[in-house]
Amino acid sequence: MKGLLTNYYETAAIILFGIGFATLMLHSNLIKKIIGMNIMDTAIFLFFIAKGYIFESQAPIIRGELKTVYAYVNPVPSALMLTGIVVAVTTTAFALALTIKLNEKYHTVDLDKIMEMEGDKNDE
Amino acid sequence: MTYIILLPIFFPILSGIFIRLTSQNRLKPLLIISVILNFCFTIFVVSYFPEAAVELFEFNNLLFFYFSPDLLGKIFAVLVSTLWIFTTFYALDYMSHEKKTNSFFMFFLATQGITIGIAFSGNLITLYLFYELLTLITFPLVIHEGSDEALRTGKKYLLYSFFGATFVLFGIILLYSQNNSLDFMSGGMIGILSNEQLPYYLMVYLFLFLGFGVKSALVPFHSWLPSAMIAPTPVSALLHAVAVVKSGIFSLMRITYYVIGWETIEQTGGNKYTLVLVLITIIMGSFLAISQKNLKKRLAYSTVSQLGYIMIGLVVFTPDTLTGGLLHMLFHAFIKITLFFCIGAVMHYEHKTELAEIEGIGKRMPITMTCFSISSLCLIGIPPTNGFVSKWFLAIGGIKSGNYIIPIILLLSALFTAAYLLPIFTTAFFKGPPIRETVVKEPNNLMLIPIIILTGINVFIGFFPNLVINLIEKLSLILY
Amino acid sequence: MTSNLPLINIMFLMITAFAFPLIKKIKYIYFFSYIIHILLVISTLATLMFVVNHGAYALNIGYPDTFMGIQLYISHVEALLGVVFSIIFLMVVIFASSTIDKEISENRIGLFYLLVNILYTSLIGVIYSNDLFNAYVFIEVSTLSACGLIIIKDKGETILAAIKYLIMSTVGSGLVLMSIAYLYSITGHLNILLSHNVIVATYQDYPNSVLIILSLFTLGLGVKSALFPLHGWLPDAHSSAPTPSSAILSSLVIKVYMVLLIKIIFRLFGLNIVKDIVIMDIILLLGSAGMIFGSVMAIKQKELKRMVAYSSVAQIGYVAFGIGLGSIAGLTIAVYHIIGHALTKSSIFLISGLMISQNKSKYIEDLKGIGHEMPITLILFTLASFSMVGIPIFPGFISKWYLSLACLELNRISLILIILASSLLNLLYYFPIVINGFFGKENLKGRIRKSKKVNPYSLFPIVTLIILMLLTGLFSGRIIDFIALSFA
Repeated sequence: MKGLLTNYYETAAIILFGIGFATLMLHSNLIKKIIGMNIMDTAIFLFFIAKGYIFESQAPIIRGELKTVYAYVNPVPSALMLTGIVVAVTTTAFALALTIKLNEKYHTVDLDKIMEMEGDKNDE
Repeated sequence: MTYIILLPIFFPILSGIFIRLTSQNRLKPLLIISVILNFCFTIFVVSYFPEAAVELFEFNNLLFFYFSPDLLGKIFAVLVSTLWIFTTFYALDYMSHEKKTNSFFMFFLATQGITIGIAFSGNLITLYLFYELLTLITFPLVIHEGSDEALRTGKKYLLYSFFGATFVLFGIILLYSQNNSLDFMSGGMIGILSNEQLPYYLMVYLFLFLGFGVKSALVPFHSWLPSAMIAPTPVSALLHAVAVVKSGIFSLMRITYYVIGWETIEQTGGNKYTLVLVLITIIMGSFLAISQKNLKKRLAYSTVSQLGYIMIGLVVFTPDTLTGGLLHMLFHAFIKITLFFCIGAVMHYEHKTELAEIEGIGKRMPITMTCFSISSLCLIGIPPTNGFVSKWFLAIGGIKSGNYIIPIILLLSALFTAAYLLPIFTTAFFKGPPIRETVVKEPNNLMLIPIIILTGINVFIGFFPNLVINLIEKLSLILY
Repeated sequence: MTSNLPLINIMFLMITAFAFPLIKKIKYIYFFSYIIHILLVISTLATLMFVVNHGAYALNIGYPDTFMGIQLYISHVEALLGVVFSIIFLMVVIFASSTIDKEISENRIGLFYLLVNILYTSLIGVIYSNDLFNAYVFIEVSTLSACGLIIIKDKGETILAAIKYLIMSTVGSGLVLMSIAYLYSITGHLNILLSHNVIVATYQDYPNSVLIILSLFTLGLGVKSALFPLHGWLPDAHSSAPTPSSAILSSLVIKVYMVLLIKIIFRLFGLNIVKDIVIMDIILLLGSAGMIFGSVMAIKQKELKRMVAYSSVAQIGYVAFGIGLGSIAGLTIAVYHIIGHALTKSSIFLISGLMISQNKSKYIEDLKGIGHEMPITLILFTLASFSMVGIPIFPGFISKWYLSLACLELNRISLILIILASSLLNLLYYFPIVINGFFGKENLKGRIRKSKKVNPYSLFPIVTLIILMLLTGLFSGRIIDFIALSFA
């Protein structure tokens, strides 16, 4: 318990991840699914960036003179997550585009209803 | 130069493909030339290459395709290519009204090559390859008729065969992982086992035996054989009396005497279990044969029972039973093929398939039915026929090994054999309303002559069995 | 120069991809794609030769020292897979040039080839990359481009399949990214080799971390490679996509994630560390379940492509089985199975596509008697199904054989029964097609026979793939020895 409170960033990230995951899995509305997907991704970004944070250090931007390495937080996770965000945004955009297409074809964004319309394909 | 020993394997396959591509009118001469040539090749290889060995496709230094015909393989190869000639002539007449004969004969010829491949295999993995190929290549022959029932039967045949092959593969893998070798050696390659190894090798033996037992119609894996009778008669005769089932028997001989070794098997005690299955096969086959009304099915169940006789030579380890088993393998091949040919002639010319329908047929086809009767007597084993000789050796071997049940079962089964074969020719000759003017209508010469020659061979060997016995006893002495 | 080829391949594909939509004439698009993919075959072969001569090597990008930059690592497995992938891509591209205009509208053909190139980039990126985050980015690229290849038909069912795939993949990549973050927080590295050194030194201090990282990776990559029971998206996606796309998706895309899993298990952790972890047994269990369940589901299918797709679930099971054994022999044969199955399954999908388009029906029922119309195609299908069933000398048999030996090495005899049962089940769904195709007659009644002529551009790739499959079987000894060099 104490561990969870000390690492509250990580705890929050895991909780967020759970929320996102549950939203993604449990809702049949595609928009909600995509929102869940985003929450999940954000949780991971939080987790990752929290790992790079060093207590009471500055952002790794040199202002004035260069301090020792220990004065700055680790810039690598932030840089990585920049890429991660790009990927997440792309995926979201793509998913939204697909949703629009589906809405055009089936006039609903509810995945279960669409599945019903398609009919079951004799599995499970 | 030693690559010549591959000729009897690949020549039929290639000539089969060639025949498929040529026109229908040239089928007959090509086919005849092809089988006779291949007979010559086989004889040539058998007589001039006593110690030849050829290796193909080396996967790695342990797993490769290896051909090395030894005495047992040579006997089997000669048997196969001899009977193939007769069947080809017979089939030419039998199939003359059918369609798609070109592709039929392609598979027919290819089957010969693959069967000889089984005979010449020098290690278990090669044998396994050809064994699987045999299933695949005979499949189109079985379902040649093309009806739904034929397709269903074909699927059953495939399923049984592959089920068996899976067992075999399991056994082979277990064997390979322990010995890193699968080459055939007379006397087996394992030798004396320690006590901890016994259960492992018992498992190996049982898996291999049951796996190959599927093709040799061991009860409870026999039911594909009667079903497969839906095939055209030449196929039933050749494949289900000779090529396929005898390949199963041949493979069993390989594992019993050349891979695991009979001493090892005796040590594990596995042959006690298999003996029970074999005896059940003999009795059950005969019983079921009696109850069949369809002539071909009756013969099929008879095959099941007779294969049991042969397998006695594989589970009771005395030189006499082995000699008896091998002799019966040869004799049964000749006898059963004759019986099938006769029945096939009746089916082809008179369109009669059931026992009740053939009343009086003996008067229409006297020569055919006489040949049938003679061969039946041979199968029942009345002295001085060849069937008697092989059963005599089996019984003697059984008594010598202390299994007194064997002669009893043999006698009992001989009675059953009489009970299912005699009605066929009594019905044919003596039953039915007396017809004054029966037109004698024998089959075409292409069909009749093979029947007569084969019957002649049966009778001849019955009178002079020593010609064959000497050869077979030589083989038994090598193995014991 | 030769040592830089892997990087050049990736860049070259990425850059040339965007030229496709600019080309107006379709003929030139085809021509251009041939050139690109032939060049790729040559260059991957050169890489393979380089690895044969010089051994495995790492290629640093940007910074000369490993600590900062991204690194590619090309060992024997990577080089060999690169060649296999490039050949399959070339064949699929040739096949596509003959049929794709029937499946998708004309103005999308340029896009199709763009996506093929991007997908290819990302796949070899995942294979070559020695940097986990870099691999993650490539995984995401591969997911998006694979989705693109599915929806390119622009029909309701394909979009539905794609969105299912996208959602499942997002979960998968989320899990992968999570485990990368976790790994980074422990080791401070993303490079596999550097992380490995740290893990070896410290893993006893964090006993649970290895478990968590490995399970997250397994789950994430398992979703993406349709490991049972995470395969729900696969049948829809692979069966509704255009034929060339399905061939790539089913034979290559799902395998890449397994390659990454192998790299994580062998190179990141090392077999000594993972061998006592329960995850390996779970992978083994899921693999076994997949082998059986995938086949059982395939038997129940009525549509040809769905059946083949479920068969892929079973085949991924084989790969997972090999990985889950946790021995060098198991990993080696897993890689061999990836290669063998990639060749087999791509040809099966291409053949299915041909049969479906000739027959105008996607149902297995309607394929009866197809052998009278397309004898050569069905013979090729038969050969491919021999491999699936495991007739000796075909790669499927070799995989079975060595997997079984690998089981025996670990004294787990009962596992062999699963392998054998699965191959028997394969028989049950592949052979009926062959049998009914050659010997069934029902569908021929009252039907106009079409000409037996097949477009050589469709047939040539399939024949080549089947020949390569046979060679993979025949020279399996050498191939397996070669693969084993990576796991020495």
